[in-house]
Amino acid sequence: MMLLDLLGLVIGLAIGWLCPWTVPAGWSVYVATGLLAAFDSALGGVRARLKGQFALGIFLSGTVGNAVIAVLLAWLGAQMGIPLYLAAVVVFGTRMFQNFAEIRRELLTSGAKSAKINQDMDSRPAGGDK
Amino acid sequence: MEGKTHRKRGELAVVAVFVVLGFLLALQLKSVRLYGSPTDATSAARLETLQELYNQATEERDKLQEQLDETQKELEDFRSAAATGDENAALKTEVDHLSMLAGLTDVEGPGVMVVMTDSTAENTTGDEADYLIHDSDLLTMLNELRDAGAEALSLNGQRVLTTSEVRCAGSVVLINGQRVSAPFVIYAIGDPATLYNALTMRNGVVDVLRQWKINVSVTMSDKLLIEKYTGVIPSEHLSPATQAEGEGAG
Repeated sequence: MMLLDLLGLVIGLAIGWLCPWTVPAGWSVYVATGLLAAFDSALGGVRARLKGQFALGIFLSGTVGNAVIAVLLAWLGAQMGIPLYLAAVVVFGTRMFQNFAEIRRELLTSGAKSAKINQDMDSRPAGGDK
Repeated sequence: MEGKTHRKRGELAVVAVFVVLGFLLALQLKSVRLYGSPTDATSAARLETLQELYNQATEERDKLQEQLDETQKELEDFRSAAATGDENAALKTEVDHLSMLAGLTDVEGPGVMVVMTDSTAENTTGDEADYLIHDSDLLTMLNELRDAGAEALSLNGQRVLTTSEVRCAGSVVLINGQRVSAPFVIYAIGDPATLYNALTMRNGVVDVLRQWKINVSVTMSDKLLIEKYTGVIPSEHLSPATQAEGEGAG
């Protein structure tokens, strides 16, 4: 599951790296905020799937909606002369950490559960502790 | 069964988002590498704008130059067409002669070629300016050549006209409104020996410049080509005097 996601990431990187376009300097901020939104959504998707709470509609609407609002904020900030894209940076930054923390906990606890089971199974015949 | 396809679709969506994420990430990294970080984006954008403006101006200049060439050619055609009959032919010859003297036609003839490069001497006076060629050096050189009977002069391809300026402009020299920089190449059409001797005589221009180790080479040539002036000579305040003897005469 995670492997497929990583594979997708690598494929995306390869496409982006190999394609001849670059982002014009003026658009850099928008792409960066969109990037953060996508990153947050991807982590959120992984977390939801691990927890078994995944819903396609919520995931897709969140992905698209967050990206649009982030880019809109950046644009609005540029119009008003204040770096409003920082709001997106802060929000998505915090959420990324939260998502990562939950993923970590989920993976570790599920790992510990299975380890405990294995341990119980192993310890019966051999009496070893491993 | 339904749950399974649901799961699959969800998985696909997450992977798709990961692909997009990777794509954007790679694009952004590549661009930042090219233009500098997004915080420098304003200066990069400014650079882009300036570059664009520069390109536009260059293009416009080239177009205008083309237009000018065309118009001059047309004028030439008109003159040729007008030069039928003896009287008109004589006028045409006169016009040709005068425009040659004025610097409006390419000219060729024997003369000297002077190449000047900045001094290679070690800086011992502490003033870098002592070792560079200045507008005054060029003016002295041109003046000396004129004194020796040079009939046509050019500096780095710019025809020296009666209205030409030779003026310092920072690290370059302006002539006919164009920037030229060292090495300076002067073509002078006239009697080669006279021109050569006038420059290289003891305590002459070349001698003085060489004391500063400014590299000056003077070469005699049988045939030099000096190109015409392609711009427009201003005559905004100028008109032929109406009185036979003007007030300012004498």
